[in-house]
Amino acid sequence: MASRDVVTYKTPLSRLLNVVIVIFLAFYLVWTILPLFLMFVSSFKDLLAAFQLPPVGAFSQIGIFFDFEPTTKHYYNLFYNLGFSTYLMNSIIAAGGSAVVSVVLGSMAAYSLSRVDFRGKGDLFFWIISTRMAPVVAVLVPLYAIFRGFDLIGTRTGLILAYTTFNLPFAIWILKGFFDNVPFAIEEASMVDGSTRFQAFRAILPLVAPGIGAFLVLCVLFAWNDFLFASIIGSGGAKTLPPATRELVQPQNIQWGSIMAAGVVTTVPMMFLGLLIRRYLVTGLTMGAVRE
Amino acid sequence: MASVTITNVWKYYGKTVAVKDLNIHCEDGEFVSVLGPSGCGKSSTLRMLAGLEHISAGDIHFGDMRVNELEPKDRDIAMVFENYALYPHKTVYENMANPLRLRGSSEDLIEKRIAFAAEMLEIEHLLQRKPMELSGGQKQRTAIGRAIVREPKLFLFDEPIAHLDAKLRARMRGELKLMQRRLGTTMIYVTHDQLEAMSMADRIAVMHNGVLQQLGTPQEIYNHPVNEWVAGFVGEPPMNFFDCELVEEGGRFVLVHPAFRQMVSEAQSALLRGALRGTSVRMGIRPDQISIGGKSTVESVAGTIKVTEPLGGDTLVNVDLKNAQLLVKTHPDFSGAMGETCHLTFDTGRWHFFASDNGIAYF
Ligand SMILES: Nc1ncnc2c1ncn2[C@@H]1O[C@H](COP(=O)(O)OP(=O)(O)O)[C@@H](O)[C@H]1O
Ligand SMILES: [Mg+2]
Repeated sequence: MASRDVVTYKTPLSRLLNVVIVIFLAFYLVWTILPLFLMFVSSFKDLLAAFQLPPVGAFSQIGIFFDFEPTTKHYYNLFYNLGFSTYLMNSIIAAGGSAVVSVVLGSMAAYSLSRVDFRGKGDLFFWIISTRMAPVVAVLVPLYAIFRGFDLIGTRTGLILAYTTFNLPFAIWILKGFFDNVPFAIEEASMVDGSTRFQAFRAILPLVAPGIGAFLVLCVLFAWNDFLFASIIGSGGAKTLPPATRELVQPQNIQWGSIMAAGVVTTVPMMFLGLLIRRYLVTGLTMGAVRE
Repeated sequence: MASVTITNVWKYYGKTVAVKDLNIHCEDGEFVSVLGPSGCGKSSTLRMLAGLEHISAGDIHFGDMRVNELEPKDRDIAMVFENYALYPHKTVYENMANPLRLRGSSEDLIEKRIAFAAEMLEIEHLLQRKPMELSGGQKQRTAIGRAIVREPKLFLFDEPIAHLDAKLRARMRGELKLMQRRLGTTMIYVTHDQLEAMSMADRIAVMHNGVLQQLGTPQEIYNHPVNEWVAGFVGEPPMNFFDCELVEEGGRFVLVHPAFRQMVSEAQSALLRGALRGTSVRMGIRPDQISIGGKSTVESVAGTIKVTEPLGGDTLVNVDLKNAQLLVKTHPDFSGAMGETCHLTFDTGRWHFFASDNGIAYF
């Protein structure tokens, strides 16, 4: 890599700009972190402590937020009384399963769309993407009818299928871009070396790993955060975290503590996933270019 | 090892014709270079040989076996690509091991073959590096290494050294030729660089616009080009051409150009007599077949020196004739200043005449 150092000169204006940027970032940080922070702290508070608020504008009494006895009873309640371990498992299986199925099918479809010329290829590709253009609610009713016919309502398989329906076109679209950037010559070399088409496809998979990584995350996020499919297709046997959390809001009793704890349980795994795969996400989504 | 026979092969990309009715036969163990300018269909030809491109029409045989429908992996060939096409995530060792692995060779054999190839190519110290950490020349050696570990029936090289710097290219020419002679494997080598083709190949197939122009040894191509295009493409600096008229005087032809009159020899006149159509011809003569001096003689042609380009070993002189220009290659201590008059003598035994309509050579 050639050096890309840029020489900058400090002028009063640029200094002022720096200050403005720092102030903006500080506000932005508070704006982003504060709700998460409140959720996290409140999940360890007893209901009474959670509603102890300083009077409006009394910043000196802000310590009242932190003046509480930490308790894990909400988490205990979630996992031992409300069956959240099952819901967590359902979420993991539905999100992970659909991500894996979408990546496996999507990478093969994307590869052939990228490499093979056939009649009507452009139309086929557009049709695949166009299935993503309709809003989810538009297909929910027909999908429900079809799934009921196959006895898939309330099953994890049903959820995986539903998410795959929506993730697969997306997978094909993203991964085709990555495959397009891999020079043909590499797999041609592989075929001349003695591999079959399928082996050649596998030989270039490592080169699209950033794309696959990026896509896995997007796919998991979509399924993990989904409420609509989960509450309709998954209702009954395959409840996931979002609808389960929603059920904690009951007409006569809103269980704030448990809701906060459920929020933490839902958010934390995705944060870790984000951290884990951050490098892939950045390179994956921005470059996509694989040079030999 | 195998001979290669290309019979009436055509290649279409949609409506574009890349290769037209190609016929080449290449003996077992022979080094054949396919030479032509960029876009003339060289790579298409090679890719059809490799099985990477569908053959639109015609047949390709390796030995007696027709290979048209054979998958690349079943053709027992090794190819070196113009852009090396190494596996970026694998080490040099693994890149070279790949063809053997795919054919289920034992680790012992793989190690032995790679050691042999690496020594030959002088890349032993690079085996654990990734392609990203290699220079262009080293990448190219790795790509060649990957091709030779397997001892295939046929080598297909597509401009393998086109992207190297001039010095390395000169060295690789010699090394590749030596390598092919040592292994004795049939080689089809595509290049746009006539120097590579001339210096390495047993025979050269010159292509232009998808059509094979001439197939012959480097000497045949250089000394007896079949048409004006081949004559102009092969040879550096390029041949000089003149539009001339032929008149018959006393049983021999005389070549007439506004700037000069030259006698055509008895033998050449005899060659022309049967074949000549019309009276106009294109005369071609190479820059080193013209001598330049200060004194005029009976046959010499007077011109004005336009510019001289000393190249160290030779000097190129651009000369203005009455209404033409030509290039002369002469010895390095030639002294002639710009604007001076000089006298040129053509080596008329070695010039070439081409039909002015279709460019086909009379001799
Ligand atoms: N995949 C392709 N699709 C369409 N046209 C092609 C393709 N490959 C090559 N061509 C065309 O065929 C002709 C010959 O190309 P090629 O065999 O690559 O030439 P060379 O290797 O001699 O430079 C060129 O005009 C090129 O534009
Ligand atoms: Mg080419």
